[in-house]
Amino acid sequence: MAKIELRDLHHSYASQETDSGFAIRDLNLTWEDGSANALLGPSGCGKTTLLNIISGLLRPSSGQVLFDGVDVSQLSTRDRHIAQVFQFPVVYDTMTVFDNLAFPLRNRRTGEREVRARVAEIAELLDLGGVLTRSAGRLNPAQKQVVSLGRGIVRKDTAAVLLDEPLTVIDPVLKLDLRRKLRSIQQELNMAMIYVTHDQHEALTFADWVTLMDRGKVIQSASPEALFLNPQTPFVGFFIGSPGMNMMRCEVSGQRTRIKGSPLEVPEIIAARVRSVAGAIDLGIRPEFVETSTKPKAEWNVFSLQAVDHAGSYQVLTLKSGQLRIKARVDDQFEATEADRIWVRFPPENVKIYEDGELIP
Amino acid sequence: MTLRAENICKSYDGKVVLENLSLQVEAGSFCALLGASGSGKTTLLRILAGIEKPDSGRVYYDDQDVTEVSVQERSIAFVYQQFVNYPSMTLYENIASPLRVSKNRFLDSEIREKVNKVAGLLGLQEVLHHLPEQASGGQRQRCAIARALVKEAQFIFMDAPLSNLDYKLREELRTELKQILGGRQRSEEGVSGDGHPRLKGVVVYATPEPIDVLMMASHVGFLHDRKVLQFGEVQEVYQHPAHAAVASYFSHPRMNLIECTVESQGGRSVLKVTDELKIEVGLGRDRLPDSRYLLGIRPHHLGLRRVHDRMIPFKAGVELAEVVGSNTELHLKHGNVRMTLFMDRVEQFAVGDIVTPCIDPAQLYLFDLTTGEFVTRTG
Repeated sequence: MAKIELRDLHHSYASQETDSGFAIRDLNLTWEDGSANALLGPSGCGKTTLLNIISGLLRPSSGQVLFDGVDVSQLSTRDRHIAQVFQFPVVYDTMTVFDNLAFPLRNRRTGEREVRARVAEIAELLDLGGVLTRSAGRLNPAQKQVVSLGRGIVRKDTAAVLLDEPLTVIDPVLKLDLRRKLRSIQQELNMAMIYVTHDQHEALTFADWVTLMDRGKVIQSASPEALFLNPQTPFVGFFIGSPGMNMMRCEVSGQRTRIKGSPLEVPEIIAARVRSVAGAIDLGIRPEFVETSTKPKAEWNVFSLQAVDHAGSYQVLTLKSGQLRIKARVDDQFEATEADRIWVRFPPENVKIYEDGELIP
Repeated sequence: MTLRAENICKSYDGKVVLENLSLQVEAGSFCALLGASGSGKTTLLRILAGIEKPDSGRVYYDDQDVTEVSVQERSIAFVYQQFVNYPSMTLYENIASPLRVSKNRFLDSEIREKVNKVAGLLGLQEVLHHLPEQASGGQRQRCAIARALVKEAQFIFMDAPLSNLDYKLREELRTELKQILGGRQRSEEGVSGDGHPRLKGVVVYATPEPIDVLMMASHVGFLHDRKVLQFGEVQEVYQHPAHAAVASYFSHPRMNLIECTVESQGGRSVLKVTDELKIEVGLGRDRLPDSRYLLGIRPHHLGLRRVHDRMIPFKAGVELAEVVGSNTELHLKHGNVRMTLFMDRVEQFAVGDIVTPCIDPAQLYLFDLTTGEFVTRTG
């Protein structure tokens, strides 16, 4: 079990080091021992590259990987004692579940008595006791994935667990069970786990600490709540949340501050802050925080309803005023039809201000 | 443009995948086939498209029996789960390829016009000169979709085309596909009220994800146990599930299904979940026979706030609390009964916390305990 540190990491697949040639740029990160972490980002953001650097499958162009303060950058994958779970379960279909779990131990010439004891322990932890004698090929994909994890953590010297999109091939119904199971295993094992995914739902439910990457860089590393409430950049606002944060460009002319492309005036409490900075200003508000009313309200803004999307437990409204389009989330009881007029308010405490793409605290 | 399947049977190696399945999809509908993996939805989709032949049963396009008509002879387009593009051709040539091999012998100028139009719909104008390998995953799947649309086929079949895409791209493409393919009932001339071109015909879309259906489709067929268990308009099926399996799967998050006993007391019925949790409900004129049932409660109809005094509070322990964005999903245990509660706000809970959820007696479903069939709903 170990704390994992990444120092000044750079990696380029291309020989020429152009800006775009870097898969990983200027990256510093620490994952504490025993922590549940997620590495989140769109495909191509560098998260799999980073995972391969941690596991030793890939040597970074420069920078260091440290486990508990010890530089392991030059060590092979085998010597780093990292357990890995991939998109597709890695199990021997013809072997029993027991033999699958025992395989990494027998491979390292562990005594059969110890093998039996350790496999029993892991089977207990992973809730595989009932299927130990079954051949692994007959398990469902979710169970196979749990066996893959078991093979990774069966050795006692396992330093950390890396999970790369582990739910990709799992049915939606089994996904929930497996997600819960991974979470409880993490808490019992008390081992650093890093869960790589493009799916915010998976990341936010699994992890206490989420690192959001884009184009080879860490954009924000924070708790799920902080990513939601205080996105550091518009990208974080867009990527976290469903639908993403509404972004509105501000225009200052004389004493007036407006939302670009619309007749909306920015309330003075926000406008005062906008006037105090020099850069380009965007206001961000999450669809969850947009207040809506089907009845006229004084000092609220009128929008026209463009679309209503039912998502089961909630609905998403697409609202338009001038050129401005925003989304609002309302509960499943809300009733309105397209082309209706909707009165809208942005509670100032939930409006985030961005100067040149950075959150103003 | 109707699509009709009658008594379709299909087996592979002696294993029955579809049994006496019938289905009718009307013109202008975006029909989703929803089901877990292995439910046969991909097989059904391929049979409807003509890529595979049923063992028995007939497929009709507009009352014309096409069961024996080869896929090349049909006016269809098929979008696969894996993005299929020609690697050596630009995205423009990929999209144009179905027109180039068409019997209609389109002029270059016609092809250009059609490709540009569909590229515009899918936001591909800027990358048409790229090769697939230079395009992002989202652009490649958009290209595959564009290739299906450019033919202006009457019947479009899609096999979970979003499942290999990033979460955020899926969200974007769902909205786009709904705009391009959805709401076509309202557009006789192929142009909608807001001036966007619309496509006519029938779309059949197989997916395991309830959210795809809720956000995009006009109709849904739920596949379960070799059959279409329920077919209808999306909101109708969602609000009135005919079977516990539909209710449970077609819900986001999944509907809670809990065993209970119904006992009549005077003119009222009492649903007994445990000794501590009894719910008095009005079930209309029909008295239910006293028996055991499956009680269905949507997670967002369980709340921690007692909004009105008709709501029935009970105690439960927190097994797991998941915070996603602005929502909290609480996995609870009351006695031996497990249930999920969905809140549209963020609250912190520790495992083992005792909470007091409330049930709204007006938002409940009852299903037959043995057959799973819908019995009644309250409210």
